[in-house]
Amino acid sequence: MLSRRDKRLTIIGIVVLGIVLFILNQVMADYYLRIINLIGINIILVASLNLTNGFTGIFSMGHAGFMAVGAYTSALLTIPITQKAALLPDLPLWLANLHVPFVAGLLAAGLMSMLFALLIGYPVLRLRGHYLAVATLGFLVIVRVVLTNIESITRGARGISGLPGVTNSWWIYGTLVIVMYCLWRFIHSSYGRGIMSIRDDDIAAQALGINITTHKMMAFCIGAFFAGVGGALWGDQMSVISPNFFSFNQTFTLVEMSVIGGMGSMTGAVVGAAVMTIIPELLRNLEVGITIMGMTLPPLYGLSQLILAALVVIVIIFRPQGIMGRWEFSWQHFAREKKKLRLQRQSSSEQEK
Amino acid sequence: MDFNYLLNQLVNGLSLGSVYALIAIGYSIVYGILRLINFAHGDILMVGVFAGFGVLAVLHAPFVLAILIAMAIAALFGVVLERVAYRPLRYATEEATMITSLAVSIFIENLGIMTVTAQPRSFKVPAILNVIHNWGSVSFSNMNLLIIAITVILLVVLVFFVTRTDLGIAMRACADNLNAARLMGININVVVSVTFAIGSALAAIAGLMLAGQYGRIDPLMGFIPGLKAFVAAVLGGIGSIGGAALGGFVLGMAEILLVGLLPPAFSPYRDAFVFIILILVLLVRPSGLLGTGERRRS
Amino acid sequence: MKKKVVALLMVLVMALAIAGCGKSDQSDKSAASKEIKVGALFNQTGDQSSLDVPGLNGFKLAVDEINKKGGINGSKITLVAIDGKTDQTACANAASKMVDVDKVVAISGLADSNYALAAGAIAQKNGVVFLTSGATLPSLPDQVGDHFYLVPFGDNIQAYAGAEFAAKDLKAKTAYMLTDKGMDYTMTLAKYFKERFTKINGADSVLLEDTYQTADVDFSAQIERLKGLKVQPDVLYVASDPSKCGVIVKQMRDRGITQPIIGGDGYDTPLLVELGGEGANHDVYFTTHASLSNPSDKVQNFVKAYKATYNSDPENAFAALGYDSMYLLADAISRAGSSDPAKIVEALNKTSGFEGVTGKISYTGGSRVPNKSVTVLTVKENKFEFVKEVLPE
Repeated sequence: MLSRRDKRLTIIGIVVLGIVLFILNQVMADYYLRIINLIGINIILVASLNLTNGFTGIFSMGHAGFMAVGAYTSALLTIPITQKAALLPDLPLWLANLHVPFVAGLLAAGLMSMLFALLIGYPVLRLRGHYLAVATLGFLVIVRVVLTNIESITRGARGISGLPGVTNSWWIYGTLVIVMYCLWRFIHSSYGRGIMSIRDDDIAAQALGINITTHKMMAFCIGAFFAGVGGALWGDQMSVISPNFFSFNQTFTLVEMSVIGGMGSMTGAVVGAAVMTIIPELLRNLEVGITIMGMTLPPLYGLSQLILAALVVIVIIFRPQGIMGRWEFSWQHFAREKKKLRLQRQSSSEQEK
Repeated sequence: MDFNYLLNQLVNGLSLGSVYALIAIGYSIVYGILRLINFAHGDILMVGVFAGFGVLAVLHAPFVLAILIAMAIAALFGVVLERVAYRPLRYATEEATMITSLAVSIFIENLGIMTVTAQPRSFKVPAILNVIHNWGSVSFSNMNLLIIAITVILLVVLVFFVTRTDLGIAMRACADNLNAARLMGININVVVSVTFAIGSALAAIAGLMLAGQYGRIDPLMGFIPGLKAFVAAVLGGIGSIGGAALGGFVLGMAEILLVGLLPPAFSPYRDAFVFIILILVLLVRPSGLLGTGERRRS
Repeated sequence: MKKKVVALLMVLVMALAIAGCGKSDQSDKSAASKEIKVGALFNQTGDQSSLDVPGLNGFKLAVDEINKKGGINGSKITLVAIDGKTDQTACANAASKMVDVDKVVAISGLADSNYALAAGAIAQKNGVVFLTSGATLPSLPDQVGDHFYLVPFGDNIQAYAGAEFAAKDLKAKTAYMLTDKGMDYTMTLAKYFKERFTKINGADSVLLEDTYQTADVDFSAQIERLKGLKVQPDVLYVASDPSKCGVIVKQMRDRGITQPIIGGDGYDTPLLVELGGEGANHDVYFTTHASLSNPSDKVQNFVKAYKATYNSDPENAFAALGYDSMYLLADAISRAGSSDPAKIVEALNKTSGFEGVTGKISYTGGSRVPNKSVTVLTVKENKFEFVKEVLPE
C-alpha cells in the first residue's frame, strides 16, 4: 500500500494533470489537442494490452477485436435515436429505442468486451505460445466477419456514423486515471503477483498452488474490459466506425507501443503510447518532402511506417525490455534520489573538513 | 449435392491447399530450428514474385527460367533478411522475435510501395497453362495440375533432403536441440541460412502460382496468404514439415468447401468458420494436428 | 553501449522529424503574396493506395497547371498533401492538421466513404470545404454537413443507370447479382441496382443475390451456384472494385457463362482487360464517369499531360476525378472572388454545367451530389468503347 506521503503526492499529481489539461484545452489548436487526446486513449489501450501480454505472458493478437466490440456496443447505445432510426431501420425494437448517457455506454462497452473474453477465454487460454496467438487472431477475424455481416445491427461494411463525439480530454483522462488506478490495484494485489509468477514460470506457479486458469482468465477479462472502454472512446472521437478500422494492423500498432514502452510496466504503457503517437505525426512532416540545408527530399509516402518499423526492430535488438523495462514510476524513487544527493553532499562536505 | 460440383470444388481446394502447404512449410522449418515465426515470410513471397515478374516482363525470359530466378532471388533475400534482422535475436524470447518479424514485414511492404508503387499489375503466364480440361463436367486447368504436381514433387524432394542428405539431417538435428547440434560441430549459421533459403524459395514458387492463377500482383499481396499459411502451419503442428503440408491442404480445402457447401447466406462467414474449426482442432490437439507438444527452450 | 545506441538513434529520429516540422516546402512561401492553401488528403499507402495515388497525381497536375497560368485571381495555390495511410486515425489527424496548423480553405481527396466521413466531419466542424474526389456514397453530404461535396456522381445514379441500361437496352427481364460484401461502395451499388431493376421488372426479377469477400480471388463456388439456377438470368450485375472485376469476368467467361455482365465505375481500369482476358471482350458493360478514350480535346489533353508528367497513362478514373476536383474548386474560388470558405460554398452551390474531364458537373436544387450523366462503356478488342450516355431519373 502506498504511504500517506505517496498518496498525497499522487493526488497532487492528478490535480496538476487536470490543471494542465484545462490550460491546454483553452490555448491549444484542435489538431494538437487531438493528439493529446489520442495519447490518452492509446495509453488506456496499451495499458490493458500490457496486462494480458506483458504481465501475464498471454500473447493475445485479438486486442482490436475487443476494441471493436466495445466501440460498436457504445455506438449502438449512445447515438441519438433519430440517427439510429435513419441508419439502422431493422434494429430490434428494444435496441432502437434505447439511448443511454455516455458513461453507461462506456460501461456497457467494457462489460460486453469482458463477456466475449469470458466466452472465448476458457477454450483459448488453455493454449500456449503461438497456438494462443493464432487462436486470438481467429477471434479478431471472427469478430470482424460477424460485424461485417450482421447488417441489421451494424450496417456491415458501411459502418455507423454520427457518434455523439462527446469524448474530450476530461472523459479520456478521467477514464485514464480510473483505469490506471484499477490496474495498479490489481497488479499490486495477490492476483497481480499471481499472474506475474505465471508469466515467469507457470509450472512453478502451479506447484505453488496458484490456479492458472483463474488468474489467466482474470487478466484476460480485465484487459478486455479496458480494451472495450478504450475502443468506445476511440470510436466516439472518430465519430464514425466501421469493421475495417479494427484490423490486425491496429492490434500490431498497439503491440508496437507496448514493446517500445516496455511490456511489463504500466509506466511503459504511458511512455510507449505517448512516444508512438507523437512520432508518426512528427515524421509526417518528413514525408511531404523537406529541405534540409539545401538538399531537397522528394515526397516519400510510406517513409514514416518504414522508420517506425525499423525503430521497433532496433529497440527489440538493443533493448528488448523496452524503454521502461519492468521499472515503474514511483514517488519513492524521487525521495531516494533526493536522499542520495543529500547524503552525497553531506559526505563530500564531511570529507573536506 | 451434385457430385461433379463437389469434385470441382475438391480440385480447387487441392490447388489452393498446395499453395498454402508450400508457404506453410517455410514457416515450419524456420520455426523448427529458431522458434521464430517469420511474419515477413509472406513478403519474401512477394519479393520473389516481383523478381519473377521483372524477369518475365522486362527480359522476356521463358517461364521456367523466370521461376528459377525468382526462387533464387527469394532465397537470397531470405538469407540476407535472416542475417540482418534475425541473427541478433537468435536467443531472444519468442514474443520479441514475432514482433520483430511483424515490423520487418511492414518495412518490406512499405519499401515495396515506395519503389514499385501500389498499383496492381497483371501477371501473364504462358497460354498453355490456361488450357482447361473437362472430364464430364469437372473442369480444371493446367495451372491447377501444375500447382499440385509441383507441390507433390517438392514435398518428395524436401523429405528426401531432410532424411538422406547431411545438410538435411543437420537441419533436423538443429530443430531437435540447437545446443546439442552446436556441440556436435554442426555449423548453425550455415544450417539456418539454408533453412531460410529453402523456405523462401518454396514461398516464391507458391507466390508465382498464386499470381499465375489470379493474374495480378501488388506489394501487399503476400500479407494475407502469409497469414493464412501461418494458420495452416499452426493447425498442422508448427515445426513439422508434414504438419505444415497437412495444415495447408486442410485449410485450403476448408476454405473452398465452406464457400461451396454452405448456403449462400452463410458463405460470407467463411473466414469465421475456418477459424472456429481451427480453434476446435486446437482444443482437441493443442499442438496442432501432427504436433508433438511444445518443447520449451532450455 | 547498447543503451547509448538506442538513445542516439531516438534523438536522431526526433531531430529529423522536428527538422521536418520547421522547414517544409509549404510554409516557405512569404506571407506577403496572397496564396490559397488547399489540402490534399489521399491514402498514398495501404490498401486504398492504388485508387488514391492516381487521384493525388491528377490533383497535383491540376494545381501545377493552374499555377503556371497565374493561379486563381492572381493568387497561387499552395498544396498541402498528407498521406492518410488508409488508416482512420491518420486520416482524421491529417485533416485536423490541415485545418488547424496549415489553415487550408478546402480539402479534397479520399476514395472511400468511411474515411471521407471521418475526415469530412473535422473539416465541417471547422468551416472548411471538403470536396471528396472519389467517395461516392450519395448520403455523405447530408451525413457530414453543408461544406461537404461529392465530385463523382453518387452510386445511386450509376446503379440506376446500370439497371435502366440492362432493362431497356439489353432487354433483360431477370438478373443475377454478385456483390462484394466488404465495401460500402459495392453494397451501395447493389442496393440501388436492385431497387431500380425490380421497379422496372417486378419484385422477383432478381433471381439470386450472391456475395463474396473483398479478399476473395476464387469465385468457383459462386459460379457453380449461378450455373445451377433452374432459370438462367438475362443479365449479371457484378458490383466489384477495380482489382477484382477482371478476375471475376475471366473466371465467369472461362467457365462458360455467356450472359452480359454489368458493373460500376470500379471496372474503369486497365485491369479489367489485363485480368479479364479475352472474356472481357464479350458483353461486358460498365457505368463510369467518362471515357478516357473520348476523343474530345478536354479528355485527351488531360491524358497527354498526365502521361508527360507521370510517365504513364492515367491508371483509373480516380486520376481524372482528382484533376476535376482541383479545377472545380478553382472555378468556385474564382467565381466567389475570395478564398473564404463560406463564399466558396456559396459559389459551389451555384455551380452549373462545369465542364470537367469526367463530365458536366452541376449542384442543383441544393444537392451537393452532382447532377452528372453516366457513361456506359463496353470492351471491344481489348479497348474501351463508348456505348451511350445515360441520365437516369
